[in-house]
Amino acid sequence: MGQGVAVKFRAGLAVAAISVALLPGCGSEKSEGSPLGQAVGAVAKSTIGMVTARSKGTVVAAPAPVTRADLEKFGLPILRARVAARGADAFVTMADTKGNVVTWATTDGSTFTLRDGVLIQTRGLGPDLMSAQAPSLADLQADGGTHRRIYYFLGEDDQPTRRTYDCTVFITGGETIEVFSRAHRVKRVTETCVRPQGAITNEFWIEGAAIRKSRQLASGGVGFIEFERVID
Amino acid sequence: MLNMLCRLLALLAFSTVLCGGPAVAEMTKSLNINGTTGLIDMPSGEAQDDAAFTFSTALVGPLTRATISFQFSERLSGSFRFSTFRDWDTLFPGESSKLNDRSFDIRYLLLKESAYLPSVTVGLIDFTGQGLLSSEYVAATKSFGDRVKVTAGLGWGRLGTDGSIGQPFGDRPALATSDFGKPSIDQWFRGDAAPFAGVEVKLTDRWTFKGEYSSDAYLLEDDERGIIERDSPFNFGFEYQKGQNTRYGIYSLYGTEVGFVFHLILDPKNRATGGVMGAAPVAVKARPPRSADPEAYDGDWVTQADAGPLLRRNLAKRLAVDGIIVENLAFTASTVQIRIRNTRIDAGAQAVGRTARALSHVMPASVEVFEIVPVVNGIGASKVSIRRSDLEQLEYAADNSTLLRDHVTITDAGPVPANAVGDDGLYPKFRWSLRPAFRMSEPLKGDLGLRLSASYDIRPGLVVAGSIYGRVVGNVDRSGDPSSSVLPHVRSDSARYAKFGDPALEQLTLAWFARPAPDFYSRVTVGYLERMHAGISGEVLWKPVDSRLAMGVELNYTKQRDTDGQLGFGEYDYDIVTGHVSAYYDFGNGYLGQLDVGKYLAGDIGATMSIDRVFVNGWRVGAFATVTDASAEDFGEGGFDKGIRFTVPLNWALGNQSTRNFGATLRPSTGDGGARLEVDGRLYDSIRDYHSDALDPEWGRVWR
Repeated sequence: MGQGVAVKFRAGLAVAAISVALLPGCGSEKSEGSPLGQAVGAVAKSTIGMVTARSKGTVVAAPAPVTRADLEKFGLPILRARVAARGADAFVTMADTKGNVVTWATTDGSTFTLRDGVLIQTRGLGPDLMSAQAPSLADLQADGGTHRRIYYFLGEDDQPTRRTYDCTVFITGGETIEVFSRAHRVKRVTETCVRPQGAITNEFWIEGAAIRKSRQLASGGVGFIEFERVID
Repeated sequence: MLNMLCRLLALLAFSTVLCGGPAVAEMTKSLNINGTTGLIDMPSGEAQDDAAFTFSTALVGPLTRATISFQFSERLSGSFRFSTFRDWDTLFPGESSKLNDRSFDIRYLLLKESAYLPSVTVGLIDFTGQGLLSSEYVAATKSFGDRVKVTAGLGWGRLGTDGSIGQPFGDRPALATSDFGKPSIDQWFRGDAAPFAGVEVKLTDRWTFKGEYSSDAYLLEDDERGIIERDSPFNFGFEYQKGQNTRYGIYSLYGTEVGFVFHLILDPKNRATGGVMGAAPVAVKARPPRSADPEAYDGDWVTQADAGPLLRRNLAKRLAVDGIIVENLAFTASTVQIRIRNTRIDAGAQAVGRTARALSHVMPASVEVFEIVPVVNGIGASKVSIRRSDLEQLEYAADNSTLLRDHVTITDAGPVPANAVGDDGLYPKFRWSLRPAFRMSEPLKGDLGLRLSASYDIRPGLVVAGSIYGRVVGNVDRSGDPSSSVLPHVRSDSARYAKFGDPALEQLTLAWFARPAPDFYSRVTVGYLERMHAGISGEVLWKPVDSRLAMGVELNYTKQRDTDGQLGFGEYDYDIVTGHVSAYYDFGNGYLGQLDVGKYLAGDIGATMSIDRVFVNGWRVGAFATVTDASAEDFGEGGFDKGIRFTVPLNWALGNQSTRNFGATLRPSTGDGGARLEVDGRLYDSIRDYHSDALDPEWGRVWR
């Protein structure tokens, strides 16, 4: 069963059940979902209005009217995150930085935590990536290098699920990519990971010593997330 | 109103608007019109997937069957069915035109299908009722490729009434009226045995053809009552699978009838939303390294007069977004103990994690140990101690939940520290709500009404609470007829309570919860405890935080309330002392057992055995049976008290933060024997949520 199908079905069931839980009621205590809180600044609020979260279809709509100049005005680093299975596309800002680990947050309560640009955690997406043993940036720059990668998901049964892969890094020469209408000279890195039950491929576009763009697996339920570092 | 009714229907069926997706490649283990795994009317040799919870409604001419089935373990499943026979007076004018019957089935998968061997199941249908559907069977099913399944079986009882091959295990004695409701052991596998068979062919991903040869002669419906004409043993029809959760069927039955069936198939193990929804937490706040900023670690701040209220206020603000209320806060320069009330998050481990994150932001750097005490009904349920440096170091570590659990201790909550900065009006003492409430009494029966509830915390652990329920729509018995039970009518006058007390004061109580000693919990509740009884109820529970075993004692003195839902006791003049000794045991993997021995409301003495399967996400399905010294004759129809119960957390389907549930207890018949007082706030379930046997399975959510 494909990801899109899974999400679609679940959206359907959720819609059905919403009619149960949202039976009109009132009282002194609320039980609705909480807002994300204080982590996200004004920039996200103004740009993430364009996040499209649609339950049907897997085509990601581009946020139309925002230009690079609009984003640069905020003077903050901005990452673009696209979750195809969720039909979501968001410009996200930094909520927390600890050394080389940065947590980026949307205004609607999701976060992505990356270590030197390599995804190690997500929150608020449902079947989240709770933690990961992921390669370092140096590992990803060694052509032919191998490493072990372990994902720890929170499965749909609320249980931590571990997936262990053996991965190999391939670097395919230089190329020029365009990120939000700006060209970047990058080298393309492919991380191919296998386990007995199957294989996955994460892709990275590395500019100098930093990841400019990537497509990385978050979890079995969420699928791949595409990241672009739009504003440094 | 109409809108509400629509929503009620949505609640009943949970969904008929599911989006479709292609069916899975392997053939579905389909259900029959009796709501159990099988062909059309016949059972098959298969079992549903572990934990499958299904709700089936079938309509065949004058017959309606509504069934709830649960795959209790990989091999064992049980069903509860509510059947209606209409036109029951066809041959007997003057008799009631409708007969309702409730039945239990149980089945066990003896053999799983392998390359050469079929799956084999042995089952009992209606094994403890009045025997209208009673039958036993052994069935085998083998699949050929991924499109064809063939079933053959041998049936007794109803399933042995057409095409008998003899009586391999001797005569089947008639079921005496006095044995109605008891396991009909003397009948099992006795009398005529007859073979049945069928085939299932998957035509497309969604469409399936089924055909069967039935060994049920429908003697009751055809020969005795003339409500169905059975011309042929052959049934056939088509089923349509819509998504993973719904299946529809239409059949030609016995040459004369058209049958329809709808199945709702739910998987309690896995969240309908795919995962735990809800907003991300804030990141842990890292303290500066001690070498870089030694002054930050200075503990002098504890001497500041306003430190306590300030910290408490900041924590309350941070935790409010997750519905966590700070009951009180105690600290030294190196340790903080926070007592929290979790009102929204369904997993205790996640509430603990969120609290620890908030503490990392608010507490000065010198505080190294976080003691988090979840409070239930005003009393500490356990104490989770986390070292702040572990929290900081493990936040981004691989497998952080396992690593953190290795460093965390869960112990008895202990008393409230003497230096606690407590209750100063920062949390609401008065709570109220007005909500629609659905009360289900049988698979197709219930009523929907409005419940006004309110409570007031006099101090932590001392609560006044009350609720009023008024019915809006429903189809439960409101005849107002008194029951004919020879026992005191402690439960059986429900039709009177339903009719004369609407709206009714359900409860008005003063409850006192306390911790008399380590590992001991206590409760005293006084007032209008439930709809039918009022008085005083006391309970003591022994439950060490890391123990699978718990023991409890309960003692009650109650008077029976008037049916009008008001405050009086004039109608029944009945009072009684009841009480139980209870043992609770967590068998692991989500199976909980409970044994209660004592005296019940009608003065009968006996024991209740129950077993529940609980899922990490809060789903719960169980069964219970009570045997007392009240004779089967005195108990009336049903012989003894038994039933099933289930709880569905709304956030399983919705993903929002909520601890609200939908649940029901269903009994084949409600008699006066084996009836227990229903009192809110029984200790075991609420306390256990924060003990290690409940926290550990959900510990993966501590970082969520």
